[in-house]
Amino acid sequence: MKIEFRKVLPKPLEDIAHSKESLWNSNVVFESGKRILLNASSGKGKTTFVHTLMGMRTDFSGEILIDNKNTKSLHVNQWVELRQRKISVVYQDLQLFPQLTVEENLKLKAEFTGVFYTELALQHIEFLGLKEKWNQKCGILSMGQLQRVAIVRALIQPFEWLVMDEPFSHLDLANAELCLQLIEKRCKELSAGFILTTLNARDNASVDYEVKL
Amino acid sequence: MIKSLLFKNQEKRQLVIAVFGALLGITFLISSVHYLNKINEYGEDSEILGRNTLILQKKVTSASSLSLTKTDFSEKEILRMKIEPFVEDVKPVVSNNFRVWFETNDPYVPTFKSDVFIQAVSKDFLDVKSDKWNWNEGEKFVPMIMPRDFLVMLNTFMNSSGIPQVSDELAMKLKFRLRISDGQKEEWVDTRIIGFTNEIASILVPENFMEYATKKFANGDPGKITQIMVAGKEGEFGKLENYMLEHGLESKNSQVVVSRLKSIIGTLFAVILVISIVAVFASGLVLIQYMQLLLSHNKYEVRTLLRLGMHPKTITYSFFRYFIAVFSIVLTFGFILFLVLKYFVDEIFQTGGIYLSYSISTFALITILVTFVIFAFASFRTANKEVLSLFNR
Repeated sequence: MKIEFRKVLPKPLEDIAHSKESLWNSNVVFESGKRILLNASSGKGKTTFVHTLMGMRTDFSGEILIDNKNTKSLHVNQWVELRQRKISVVYQDLQLFPQLTVEENLKLKAEFTGVFYTELALQHIEFLGLKEKWNQKCGILSMGQLQRVAIVRALIQPFEWLVMDEPFSHLDLANAELCLQLIEKRCKELSAGFILTTLNARDNASVDYEVKL
Repeated sequence: MIKSLLFKNQEKRQLVIAVFGALLGITFLISSVHYLNKINEYGEDSEILGRNTLILQKKVTSASSLSLTKTDFSEKEILRMKIEPFVEDVKPVVSNNFRVWFETNDPYVPTFKSDVFIQAVSKDFLDVKSDKWNWNEGEKFVPMIMPRDFLVMLNTFMNSSGIPQVSDELAMKLKFRLRISDGQKEEWVDTRIIGFTNEIASILVPENFMEYATKKFANGDPGKITQIMVAGKEGEFGKLENYMLEHGLESKNSQVVVSRLKSIIGTLFAVILVISIVAVFASGLVLIQYMQLLLSHNKYEVRTLLRLGMHPKTITYSFFRYFIAVFSIVLTFGFILFLVLKYFVDEIFQTGGIYLSYSISTFALITILVTFVIFAFASFRTANKEVLSLFNR
């Protein structure tokens, strides 16, 4: 699945000067299956990038094309299909339900997608050192633990692109490394690409190329 | 799991208030529609005169007895009454201006003869099927509607003759005839009773027959118009009654009482109906607002589910189903409350001598259905709009 940004400039970023290499106001293509790093400092629009791509923001000029279809003309059903099966996202604010347990948060999506790999979810949770948290409510977990749960939730759904908005911001290097291993493995299995936004150069992900914001 | 997420943040007190308001509103709405309908129907089946119809005559006073004032109606007076806003229609009641005798003509019944008075009224005022209420020259039978008092008199005669009394149905099967005369020539016409009335004191015959007989036995002179038929507009009987008072008109007492009663009770229930509609509308609005509040309290949950890929329609239907269930419970309990209320109100009416049919008015059932459909439509639209507004945010 090809994602294309054509001269996209979100309204809140109109007054900021953007370099020639910046994604904003330029033509950038995210080729299918590639591993891409979006590296930028604070306020450059990392979260705005995720939100414009996922249709949560429409206040931008230019065009975003997904498989040559303008996102502004996509029907609700097409967005649902994209969010359920094509693009999996780890949001910066994680979007977990604190009143539900780790297991319930992971299983929730299955209620409307009908796809849930229990074994896979357990393996991932165990791999990231959260086995004993399986039945605990997310409301009592630390930010680092929550980030890992959100990553696992994003990995256990079908996807062609994995979009992550600063997913390791609360993780130590070791845990970030484990997460990266899991992400790379899962992307390889699904022949999917990922877009990783970060402001931290220490996120030493092995990427195909880097896009600036 | 999704249900527990969407409905966890609830301010139940507001829901209880809205449900209670809607329950009372629905109960009174169903009750007022039911009784408005029943009161309008009251007395319709048993009588042959149409709705809100009165036979009026001028009051006989000492002055009219001394021929100082007239007791007949001029064409001008009829026209003047016709243009009153509360009057639907006015037509004269035509009386015979020739001699008429009524007699039995059946081998199973002994001969019974009596001088009678016949009248004809426009069939627009009668609740009888038009094919039964028709006569053309040369036809074998003249249909007629008898005053019920006449049947009582006939039965008294039967009893004294040692013959079993006759019911309404049997009387309608017996053969009778009318003898019409102008003093010189006379004619016999066979006749059949097609119905009875408590509202008119004379024998009613079709207009065609009256015209034929008047032409042949009264030289075409219909005589003076001493009675008129007036159809008043629905719910405006009070105005007609005032008009009658002002113009020295009167009607058979029972007719006036029934019409006055229907008018008063009808107005009362119409007021209750308006209040009930306002109450149902207001409580429906509170329920819809409660839905908006619920969606607003669970904004994070709804938005997150949408971001994760849940279809907005699924969330819309969750809220829609929840509120439809709440409203269905309100309607069911409202209907039960109405049945309880109906039991007591019917008793009160019966104590006052008004026997309304026990069946539930179709309009009341239609009201329940219409209220449900309107609420379902409003709640679906609200849920859909609110959820979609969170979809791209």
